[in-house]
Amino acid sequence: MNRALYDRVSGYLLRHAAAIIFIVVFVYFGLAADNFLSAENSLNIIKQASFTGVIAVGMTFVLLTAGIDLSVGSNMYVSAMTVGYLLQIPGLQGGFGVLAGIVAGLATGALFGAINAACIVYLRITPFLVTLATMVAGHGLVTAITQSFGLDYPAAFTSFGAASILGIPIPVAIFAAVVAAAHIVLTRTPFGRQLYAVGNDAEAARKAGIATDRIIFSVYVISGLCAALGGVTLIALVGRLNQTFGVGKEFDVITAAVLGGTSLFGGVGTAFGAVIGSVLVQMVQAGMVFVKVNLYLQPMVLAAVIFIAVFFDSLRGARLEKLKRRFIRMDAPNEPGASAGKEIANPP
Amino acid sequence: MAAIFPDLATPRNISNQLSNVWPLLAVATGQTLVIIILGIDLSQGAIMGFASVAGGFVMATAADPNLLGGSPLWGTVLTEGGGWLAGRSGSVLIGVGLMLVVGGLVGLINGYFIARFRMPAFMVTLVSLMLFSSAGIWLTQSQNIVNLPPEFTQLGSGDLVSFYFGEKVEATIKRRDILSFLTYPMVIALALAVAVEIMLRFSVLGRYIYAIGMNAKTAAISGVPVRRVIMVVFVLSGLCAAVASILYSARLGGGRPTIGAGAALLDIIGATVIGGTSLSGGRGKIVWTLIGVVFFVLLGNTLNYMGLSAFYIDVVKGGIILAAAALDVARNQLLAGQAA
Amino acid sequence: MSGPAILTLAAIAKAFAGIHAVRDVSLAVGRGRILGLVGENGAGKSTLMNIIGGVVRPDGGTMLLDGAPYAPASPGEASRAGIAFIHQELNLFSNLTIAENIFLNDFPQRRFGPFSLIDRAAVARQARALLSEVSLDLPPETPLDRLSPGERQLVEVARALRLDARIIIFDEPTTSLTARETERLFALVARLREAGKSVIYISHILTDVAALADDIAVLRDGALIEAGAKAQFPIARMITLMVGRPIDQLYPPRKSAPQAAVLLEAISLGATGIIRDVSFALHRGEVLGIFGLMGAGRTELARILFGLDSHETGEIRVEGRRLPARSARASIRSGIAFITENRREEGLLMNGTVAENIALAALPRLAITPAELIEQGRIRSAAGALAEALNIKTASLDAPAKSLSGGNQQKVVLAKWLLCRPSVFIMDEPTRGIDVGAKYEIYSIIDRLAGAGGGVLFISSELEELLAVCDRILVMSRGEIVGEFARAGFDRGRVLAAAFREAAA
Repeated sequence: MNRALYDRVSGYLLRHAAAIIFIVVFVYFGLAADNFLSAENSLNIIKQASFTGVIAVGMTFVLLTAGIDLSVGSNMYVSAMTVGYLLQIPGLQGGFGVLAGIVAGLATGALFGAINAACIVYLRITPFLVTLATMVAGHGLVTAITQSFGLDYPAAFTSFGAASILGIPIPVAIFAAVVAAAHIVLTRTPFGRQLYAVGNDAEAARKAGIATDRIIFSVYVISGLCAALGGVTLIALVGRLNQTFGVGKEFDVITAAVLGGTSLFGGVGTAFGAVIGSVLVQMVQAGMVFVKVNLYLQPMVLAAVIFIAVFFDSLRGARLEKLKRRFIRMDAPNEPGASAGKEIANPP
Repeated sequence: MAAIFPDLATPRNISNQLSNVWPLLAVATGQTLVIIILGIDLSQGAIMGFASVAGGFVMATAADPNLLGGSPLWGTVLTEGGGWLAGRSGSVLIGVGLMLVVGGLVGLINGYFIARFRMPAFMVTLVSLMLFSSAGIWLTQSQNIVNLPPEFTQLGSGDLVSFYFGEKVEATIKRRDILSFLTYPMVIALALAVAVEIMLRFSVLGRYIYAIGMNAKTAAISGVPVRRVIMVVFVLSGLCAAVASILYSARLGGGRPTIGAGAALLDIIGATVIGGTSLSGGRGKIVWTLIGVVFFVLLGNTLNYMGLSAFYIDVVKGGIILAAAALDVARNQLLAGQAA
Repeated sequence: MSGPAILTLAAIAKAFAGIHAVRDVSLAVGRGRILGLVGENGAGKSTLMNIIGGVVRPDGGTMLLDGAPYAPASPGEASRAGIAFIHQELNLFSNLTIAENIFLNDFPQRRFGPFSLIDRAAVARQARALLSEVSLDLPPETPLDRLSPGERQLVEVARALRLDARIIIFDEPTTSLTARETERLFALVARLREAGKSVIYISHILTDVAALADDIAVLRDGALIEAGAKAQFPIARMITLMVGRPIDQLYPPRKSAPQAAVLLEAISLGATGIIRDVSFALHRGEVLGIFGLMGAGRTELARILFGLDSHETGEIRVEGRRLPARSARASIRSGIAFITENRREEGLLMNGTVAENIALAALPRLAITPAELIEQGRIRSAAGALAEALNIKTASLDAPAKSLSGGNQQKVVLAKWLLCRPSVFIMDEPTRGIDVGAKYEIYSIIDRLAGAGGGVLFISSELEELLAVCDRILVMSRGEIVGEFARAGFDRGRVLAAAFREAAA
């Protein structure tokens, strides 16, 4: 093949690897399973994806600063527990009480995020370690408080989880609202643009007069809030809190964000990426059920899909670097078609 | 602590306490190497589970078709008469070798993609974690493989030297009166740790590992084969996890896919970091990790004795890790202040 | 200084861990004037400017800005007070657009109901106006990573203009600029002065300072030595004041002469978009200079010669033998050393000890085969001998490399390579960012290496040092060798003309 054409085609494919994998998976399951493309199933996939998706949006904020939040699964558990305990109070089992419970749950999540943020910003501990510690600590705390007993939620709350607005299930509506808000914040507010600057080079951002500490603090609070939102909507659907709630969710969420094109090294990523990533993960999982893949093998297939996406992403990175190296600036008078011949300026 | 909780000092307890140290030391030794080169290996727990399953499959002397009949390897590798190597001479040796090979291979796969394609270690080892932990569960259909040969299980608890405390009135000695002084797990884990420490301190490879952790670009220009060293480090990490898997599987007397699941990751990374190995790369020692592991295990046991639930223990552990990390940060800042 | 001062410093002092970086500096910056600030590395220029720019806080002393007390607690506060600091390492973000970089700190905003969002139209409009002020003819929505270093510098200036800065500090602004971009920058600085802005201009390139500044201030060891109008400071005097002793010679004499034997030979090397048809021979005992503007492909050539990057056509021979495998390891084995232009990022393990750094490249040699174990004593004695031979000033061999001065760090890099006993030395900007005294030592070492039969490929963008130190100079432009000058035919103007390819026009 013509080399320039090859370069262009492969460049295009690598740039849109996530979208291409998405389409391939979509088409494959569409052809392999009869009802996969039905409206009902599509809506169901989006609904299932919305819990991970909401949290992945928060994770995108964190990843944009080159941080990481491993505590989101634990945070879901903590927030859901807060709601659960509040809703045990008889007076709070009506409509207004449910609202108060939800607000308290979200506040708990934000507080959880603020604890992470304080350790990262003020104590300057690596985010990986901070959130690993709060992940284990948070899960331990809730399990100790609930003494491993399950917690049931009143009907007023679970009916909220199953409700719809204009035919759109509540979780999906929340997901859409969160993505839209995140997109506007990231692209249209000074905070959002400064966030990208911090992710690109935190030290330079500080020197440029950006309040980097405030921004980094905010992203962990946002991530905590999103985790709580995901946790609260999910528990409203599930209706019963047990010990495994949220366990391992952090990896699903990071996977969704990374599949959507967000870099672990900071400065690159979008809110819509979280949508693509989370729906892709859910589509693979749902599709495997449709084509009756062995239950035990499903995580392995998902792992393979993640691997392919990360692999292409790294190929793209290597290629960009190579192209950058080629970029020799033409300074000096440079008439088009100037002679490229050598001129030995009068060797003595 | 023994003064407050006299039970902690009984011979049996000292042995028990230490028995938790050795497998953790083995696996944390590998993680230390990875963290020195600024990597992270999330797949160690999965390697432990998978290696345990692999070893169980070939070494088991009998198996229950009701439990394991659904395994894809039933009838080929594993039958009612036990594993593929059941009854053959040297079966334990081959089984242990296979577990090591499994660990090394997974490490090699991790290292290859991280070094060759510069993929982030976090994602690559996360994929390995998903892949091999679910592979282990698939192969066993969530069951444990039991009936491992005694030559293997003694690797988990057998002792070379032990002391007896108490009066010799009966012919048989009660187990709890024995202080197992030199146990197999201890010898194996310490030998591994010492070997790795010597490699780090006194070999070219060790120097290369530190150099890559400090600055991979400088290292590459100075002729350090960076890719090869990264691969070697991940292979070693996998091997260390396999050693830990051998010790655990032998002690528990079974091949278990979930042997390294759950909070194991926190224990491994926590023990390493508490020892003082820096997450910003280029600094760490196996001796430090040994101290971290002992501290971490004693802490857990003590809290357990105080009657704290396992879940509160997790909370305390999390706090301790944060404190250790904050200390590390403070020390770095102090050093930086002196250098400026 | 004539005219009223806009910024006055009185008895400013700052110490880091007990070491005085700036002591008792009192200085005034004139309104609408350019102050040239000179001094060796470690003289305290950066610290002083960081104090003015709000990056660090002084331990003592006061500042008056336009008559009012001025004590910025952060860079943000300094910029709001009208002080723009253009760092040597530009504070720009390659993942944002030109306009976003300019307005990062205060975007024009518009209210949408309860929310206030970035007003994109206003951003584009205002950015275009600012870009035309600095004569940068690019659309404001261009991503920054498409810009050359010179264009990025102009974006920084546009950002300073946007903040309506009264004082603009330039810290070594020309180190990564081409000659043409430098000219453009100087014209802009002159325009800023005409617009009534004050400029503090820090540079190692004294000719630039002499050409541009109205006033000069000389720092040494953290103290202000002398300040006054430019007329009092001819370049020779600036140097004397900077180093504290008269330096009649900046360059040691070249003591040996090249021999006939060829050490390193490049035969029509080519790599698409990087270099084209590069051929030359480096002889035993020769110091061969490579001059070229930024982006002429000099560093790229060096990396290819050392095997770090690949080439598509041609071949490289060392002492007549074709280099086999292309890797740094293979090159080191064939006797090539590579002193990179970026000491901190590619030359040293900054957290490693001096001994560790010196031993790094020669570790396989120092090992006791076959177990590849190392004897500490051997490393220390080898490193110690070299540290002494090169006169490396360090507290001990166990001190971290980052605790050394720039010049001594560079000598550690040289020591690292000398331990491998190479015959070919590729040196990319070996004197960048080190002080005059240390430069002299590096030049002497280069001369000694050539005298001992080595070959030195000396890449530099400072023509003066090449003219003084080299036996022969090759000129590169746009990835090609476009000129060659032997020592007898050295001529500043002709070398420059070749680099700019003006001779052809």
